Amino acid sequence: MHLNGPPGSSPSPRRTVPLAWFVVGLVVVAGVAVVGVAGYYDYRGSSPAGPVTVTDDLGRHVSVPSDPNRVVVLGPSIMDAMYRLGLRSHVVGVDCYAASLGGLSDDYSSDQVALWNLTPSMCVEVEPSFDTEGLLAIGPQLILAATIVSTATIEQFSDTYHIPVVILQPASLGGVLVDIQLLGEIFHVGPAASTIEDELDAELASAAALQANLTGNGTPFPTVLVTYSADANGYWTYGPGTFGQSLIELASGASISANSTVSWPELSGEQVLASNPEYIVYGMGFGLNESSYTDGPFWSQFTATQDGHAVGLDSNYFTEPDPSMILEGLPALIAVLHPGSA
Amino acid sequence: MAGPPRGPVAPGRFSVRRRWTLALLTALLAVGVLFSPLLGTVAIAPETVLRILLHQLSSGRLFSDPCAGAPVPPSGCPGLIEIVWDARLSEVVLAVTVGAGLGLSGGTLQGVFRNPLADPFLLGLSSGGTLGTAVVVVFRVGVGEQNLLLPLFAFVGAIATGLVILVAARSRFGSVETLLLTGVALSSFLSAVLALLLVFSPTGSLQVDFWLLGNLGALDWSEDGIVFGVVLVAGTLLVAYGRELSLLQLGSDVAQSLGVDARKVRVRLLLLTSVTTAAAVAFTGVIGFVGLVSPHVVRRIAGNDYRVVLPGAALVGAGFLLAARDLALVAFPGTLLPIGIFTSFVGAPFFAYLLFRRRRASTMGAP
Repeated sequence: MHLNGPPGSSPSPRRTVPLAWFVVGLVVVAGVAVVGVAGYYDYRGSSPAGPVTVTDDLGRHVSVPSDPNRVVVLGPSIMDAMYRLGLRSHVVGVDCYAASLGGLSDDYSSDQVALWNLTPSMCVEVEPSFDTEGLLAIGPQLILAATIVSTATIEQFSDTYHIPVVILQPASLGGVLVDIQLLGEIFHVGPAASTIEDELDAELASAAALQANLTGNGTPFPTVLVTYSADANGYWTYGPGTFGQSLIELASGASISANSTVSWPELSGEQVLASNPEYIVYGMGFGLNESSYTDGPFWSQFTATQDGHAVGLDSNYFTEPDPSMILEGLPALIAVLHPGSA
Repeated sequence: MAGPPRGPVAPGRFSVRRRWTLALLTALLAVGVLFSPLLGTVAIAPETVLRILLHQLSSGRLFSDPCAGAPVPPSGCPGLIEIVWDARLSEVVLAVTVGAGLGLSGGTLQGVFRNPLADPFLLGLSSGGTLGTAVVVVFRVGVGEQNLLLPLFAFVGAIATGLVILVAARSRFGSVETLLLTGVALSSFLSAVLALLLVFSPTGSLQVDFWLLGNLGALDWSEDGIVFGVVLVAGTLLVAYGRELSLLQLGSDVAQSLGVDARKVRVRLLLLTSVTTAAAVAFTGVIGFVGLVSPHVVRRIAGNDYRVVLPGAALVGAGFLLAARDLALVAFPGTLLPIGIFTSFVGAPFFAYLLFRRRRASTMGAP
């Protein structure tokens, strides 16, 4: 830039913009914003009423149509619940990554795709961008969403196109039962929901009995590292407040990352070596297998790996708050940590 | 490239060439606006899109069945109409509005600080907005109303950042180094605060990422209206300062002698720029480099008269963002990628070119 070049022509003197005009301008700007926001609220008020009003996991009150049969599910955990409730036929769309960057296989394991009969035509891109057009083309009556999609974005979509959105993101394992009840209410499948609740309760009771037994005997819980990824620096694991940590506690295990200050810590090789866990459980699926972890620091030097106590389990068991986490993940983890309990 | 002098030019006669430049840019943008609704993630025949647009524009008087003969998705013709009119067209309008706002802001900031590298992105306004959204997500502010609170907090974050820069820069106005370093430092600090927040809220990270990459979709006409209203009014005021901004390029003393209260004008322009940028990024997230590139394109064509640079940058910014949207859809059919990625693809090399060109000019003894 030639900032000091010759001027083109002589400027004529002129006063700057009067302050009053400036203030008026800003007032108008503010006015436009206020009117816009007011209109926005009016718009929100016109959302369609349905025969059933439910309260979702975020405490939102949502009116949903009675027994909707065109449902889009945004979250594998919700799909798991829908399948177990016999509602697969209601699902016309599921979440996925951009089609050219992985599509369904980025969000759902190959086993899930096969079991739930998911097809690319059901794919609704929620990452890296939210595909409004794709969702509108499917034309759902109801959207069930976990927080894998931006809450603000999905609420915006709901308000704009008057399609109800129920957010199912339990804050704890107990919330899985609540969500099953909620789905039973929405789809009028109370008996099926009750059956699953009974199964969940039985599994939780069994785990609690094991825990009481160990505590009563004064048997210490086995120490464990549950890792879902490893790199040259260490092992990524679950900390306080995560479902992975909750599952370990339910399975009467003592996680070596239980006292971490963050929810998803990466433990260095030295930390793991120092803690020397009796068991190591590594996540499987989505292209991960044992070889994905063996390059981690000190892997072959851990007592657990030397003793054959390094076991792979489905990653979904530790991350997806759904019935499978309790009905399959919990007994699988108990079987690893307490081989003689079965 | 032959063209008018690119040094500071005091505003004289508004030449025919400059008028034609603005007219040409307007015409190009109009073509882009007409073309863009034909592109989307759902394949719809162009004639069906045109029929739907005419049907909607005529309130249903034309083409009573705009989808006749066209393949329709499971949601039927109403679904197609929503896709074209509510989703696609509102996205196009938003791209034009936000692009214009960012282009205008970039042009103004480059004029205010007499620095070709200044833009809202570099000055940390976007980082402030991002932090605002992170606060909403991480601390779960107003659960159930986040679609309103997210842009509101983003707006407040960007405005607050603008005010901090304003205060920091006031003491040494005109010092390029002070401004840029303040912006860079502030941007880094805000990014560090953001990272700290997200370490303790991994799920929040997922939600903030969505905003961080910039997105044009999932908004409705009422939000388009808010952005449009703010950018229109604040932008009009900014353009009205084109003459004063041109005089400021001659130096504060000269401008002062010609009746321009340099300090007051700069403060107002910075405030208006913050408002415009904040409104632009509040709903769409971080969209970088539009504000940097657009004014330079206009300067290359029409010179340094800010009466042309400002409206021209608005037009180029609008066209740039629209083109980025269309390019992304053409390059990856059926896939929607964050718009911020594509603007950075173009903007980053251009930024490097500017740095290189400025350095070479400096080496050759140019001021």
